[in-house]
Amino acid sequence: MSCGARRPWWWRIRPVPAAVLLLAVALGVVLSTERLAGPTDAGQRPAWAAPALAGTTLDGAQFDLATLRGQVVLVNVFASWCGPCRDELPLLAETARQGSPQGLRVVGLNLRDGPDAVRDLLERTRADALTVLPDPDGSRAVDWGVRGVPETFLVDRDGQVVAHQPGVVTRQWLRDRLSPLLAAA
Amino acid sequence: MIRRAGVALTLVALLAAAAAGLFRSAVPAGRADPVAAVAAGLRCPACQGESLVDSRSPIAVSMRQVIADQTAQGRSPDEIRRWFVARYGEEVLAQPPARGPGLLLWVVPALALLGAGAAAARTMRARRPARVSPADRPTRRRSRRPVWWLAAAGLVALVVAVAVAADRLAPPTVTPRTDPTAVALKLAYDLEGQQRYDAAAQMYREALRDRPDDGVRLRLAFALLRAADAAGAEQAAGQVLDHAPESPDGLLVLGLAQRITRPTVASATLRRFLAVAPAHPAAPEIRRLLGS
Repeated sequence: MSCGARRPWWWRIRPVPAAVLLLAVALGVVLSTERLAGPTDAGQRPAWAAPALAGTTLDGAQFDLATLRGQVVLVNVFASWCGPCRDELPLLAETARQGSPQGLRVVGLNLRDGPDAVRDLLERTRADALTVLPDPDGSRAVDWGVRGVPETFLVDRDGQVVAHQPGVVTRQWLRDRLSPLLAAA
Repeated sequence: MIRRAGVALTLVALLAAAAAGLFRSAVPAGRADPVAAVAAGLRCPACQGESLVDSRSPIAVSMRQVIADQTAQGRSPDEIRRWFVARYGEEVLAQPPARGPGLLLWVVPALALLGAGAAAARTMRARRPARVSPADRPTRRRSRRPVWWLAAAGLVALVVAVAVAADRLAPPTVTPRTDPTAVALKLAYDLEGQQRYDAAAQMYREALRDRPDDGVRLRLAFALLRAADAAGAEQAAGQVLDHAPESPDGLLVLGLAQRITRPTVASATLRRFLAVAPAHPAAPEIRRLLGS
């Protein structure tokens, strides 16, 4: 049989392995595009009701997030043992000062830390005006679904978490998300 | 006939061993601790692919604490898992749910095995007298047979090995690390190393809640003393001395704390320390203090 030599190259492709291979490649492509197109920034997730956040602040005052309806609240999870947290605290303190007249409140949730270390950090970063709620065993942070420090949640005037930033917040991030909320006063 | 029975027996043994392996790896052995059992089923959200039970990240320690609290409140493991899924999403589960893309993890190996089995059966099947040229096909088939037999033997060996050693795959050294108290203690040592005695004391207190141990209580007393909390240090050292009145370290911390809280009795305590442990590394310094 010499006709085999005249057949084109694709004639020799076995259909079953080829189909399996094609299917696998197609599946891989579909799954990876889905993953790439999916929300990479948790801030794009639809708003959800802010979990409870109440207790005694570092200054000994009582704090309850539920009483702050009608205000915009920025909840920043931080610790004195976290370098990036130290870097972003001055920006958060400045944002708190500037946004306060429009109803902004910045609250620091201090994860697994000691009061002296935090006071020292707040003093050094000139952020001592912030409301700081200690979370020595981290259970409040876990209730908020915190994955690491720093992490920031933006709660609107209706008590909904409308933006979430794992990692350091930038001036741009704050401006983009805070401006519409504060302007809607 | 005998050969067929052998093949059938091998298949049955293979299936049984695979089922045993699956069962032993799915049911974590030696996890009498319900907190560790739930933690083993969750992933640390701050770490890549690490189980919550093994992770030493602060958030993982907190998550274990939450599991312990909820377990103490009488919540079932399922309720606790659902609570975590509501906050962290399904990716917090160590075993992905068998639906959506996660289903592929189960389906693909099964399909691959079925495909390999079908290919093997096709090759091993007795040759039918067909259109093939007698000089070509039989020799090719025969030459492939040892490869299939070897592959099958390898697969059987692998499945048997997994079935036998499923629960030994995790190194035994993991056990102490899974203990939340051990993690709290390690964190406390690290914090002491960074001279953050307040935070270290907090960790020691956490460890003491689960393990009331005089060694830990002494470390707490030292940390409190260094964090300038003399009253706390005095109290912790006092508790140690209640159990072991002659504890040199207990007397040492108590005496040093009393120098701040009750200076009148401090010298007597420190002298008792010197009497109990004259060769203690801190003894020369205490003698100097008492002498001055």
